Amino acid sequence: MNFGVVVFPGSNCDLDCYKAIERLNEPVDYIFHTSTDLARYDCIILPGGFSYGDYLRSGAIARFAPVMQEVMKAAEEGKLILGICNGFQILLESGLLPGAMLRNRGLKFLCQYEELIVNNNQTPFTTSYQEGESIRIPIAHGEGNYYCDEETLAALERNKQIVFRYRNNPNGSVSDIAGIINERGNVLGMMPHPERAVDSLLGSEDGLRLFISILNNWREEHGTR
Amino acid sequence: MQKLEQLYEGKAKKIYRTDEADLYWVEYKDDATAFNGEKKGSIVGKGELNNRISSIFFTMLAEHGIKNHFIKLLSPTEQLVKKVRILPLEVVVRNIAAGSLAKRIGFAEGTVLSKTVVEFYYKDDSLGDPLVNPSHIEMLQLATKEQLQFLEQTSLEINQILTEYLKSRKVILVDFKLEYGVTDDGELILADEISPDTCRFWDADTMEKLDKDRFRRDLGNVEDAYKEILHRLTGEGAQAAQSSYKATVFVTLKPGVLDPAGNAAKSALTTLGFTEVTDVRVGKYMEVSLNAATIKLAEKRLQEMCEKLLSNPVIENYRYEIEEV
Repeated sequence: MNFGVVVFPGSNCDLDCYKAIERLNEPVDYIFHTSTDLARYDCIILPGGFSYGDYLRSGAIARFAPVMQEVMKAAEEGKLILGICNGFQILLESGLLPGAMLRNRGLKFLCQYEELIVNNNQTPFTTSYQEGESIRIPIAHGEGNYYCDEETLAALERNKQIVFRYRNNPNGSVSDIAGIINERGNVLGMMPHPERAVDSLLGSEDGLRLFISILNNWREEHGTR
Repeated sequence: MQKLEQLYEGKAKKIYRTDEADLYWVEYKDDATAFNGEKKGSIVGKGELNNRISSIFFTMLAEHGIKNHFIKLLSPTEQLVKKVRILPLEVVVRNIAAGSLAKRIGFAEGTVLSKTVVEFYYKDDSLGDPLVNPSHIEMLQLATKEQLQFLEQTSLEINQILTEYLKSRKVILVDFKLEYGVTDDGELILADEISPDTCRFWDADTMEKLDKDRFRRDLGNVEDAYKEILHRLTGEGAQAAQSSYKATVFVTLKPGVLDPAGNAAKSALTTLGFTEVTDVRVGKYMEVSLNAATIKLAEKRLQEMCEKLLSNPVIENYRYEIEEV
């Protein structure tokens, strides 16, 4: 399975994502933000960081980078797209996922472990978790206060698009949302950083199972190589 | 696209059917007539000049949201247009006294009118296209009341757009004639042509006439005047003729969306003793400088910028102020 990690000016979790995929022993490349050909990738990761300095709004400018046209196409083709932290913000700005990000309720940049509840384990990203399971994955953001209107929230609930919730909501997000998936089920955005929880030395291995889920589901669909 | 049989030949244009039911093929001619056909002649190259000038005006008006029949140029003298049934009314908008108005009310040519005048003429060659008023129009059933209101409003709006657009090109729009038509879908849209045949254009510096009056009054250099108008619209300096605008954009969180920064500012104010403060909302202020042909066009572009990038419609509202600099 071919993984690609997009590098925007200001991305800073690209290396962590790259290393996380290496743990799967699967091929992984960096994809520069000017790339216009993503044909060879089966899963594209938009990593965390501060793309374009977070100017205007987080993700607002990255969303118009050349590579994003291709990411939109890949999403349309049904390929797996994972947006983490700033990557989630970019997915919101690009309209691949509904809603928007506000500043954290307490205005502080939060960098800490959080307990998440797996609300939907029937996605290509979460089958290695139990439904309702509590997992530990760190967050690191100043604008992770997810917002959407009531109608959108009702739709998210109805379609089981809320994948992760915070047990103790740190940022004020609507309905404790930590991660959501699109209706089709191939584009996941989440504020917590699973790539920072892939080794017990780092304090948790719970994030690794997200990447393992991706691989297992892809293999099931495409046959083991 | 195929040109089929000729449907109509007028004084300045021929209209052909095409193999598409809702499209017409228009050919602009060099022939010129004046005083309702009493004076006849030909202006070399006029067909090509008017075809191009008209396409520029129609394209520009469409960008300003004025729906019209123009689709695209087909050749130097031909263009493709939407099929319409032309209303038998000419709408004339006047900013400065000239032609029949100067004669009718005894104003010296060149008198600036204190208020823009809109006139309607009944298109009928045998009657000599007489002036008619809304009451006549209703009685003759030339247009419905709603249509008439639309004609007057749209024509005044077009006058504003054209006047500003031409001003930056050093051309005064004295008066002009418009025709409208109804599409197969029943929509009333601008049609016919906008060119030196249908407008009075004066050079802003010399007051020299750059339109068909040169032909009507045998002033000579008719072709050169038409060429000059095209040059003012497309030639060097036409781009530079754009005006500069400065906009201030205010982006604020929508009501009901939590504003942590606003709340923090509010508590700080309360702590400082400003207990009368009931709410603080923190927003963004941006200054955007831009060039455009008209302020309306500048606004349209600015709105696109706000919707596409400067604000996020999920959580934010925007408003702006814009002025020419």
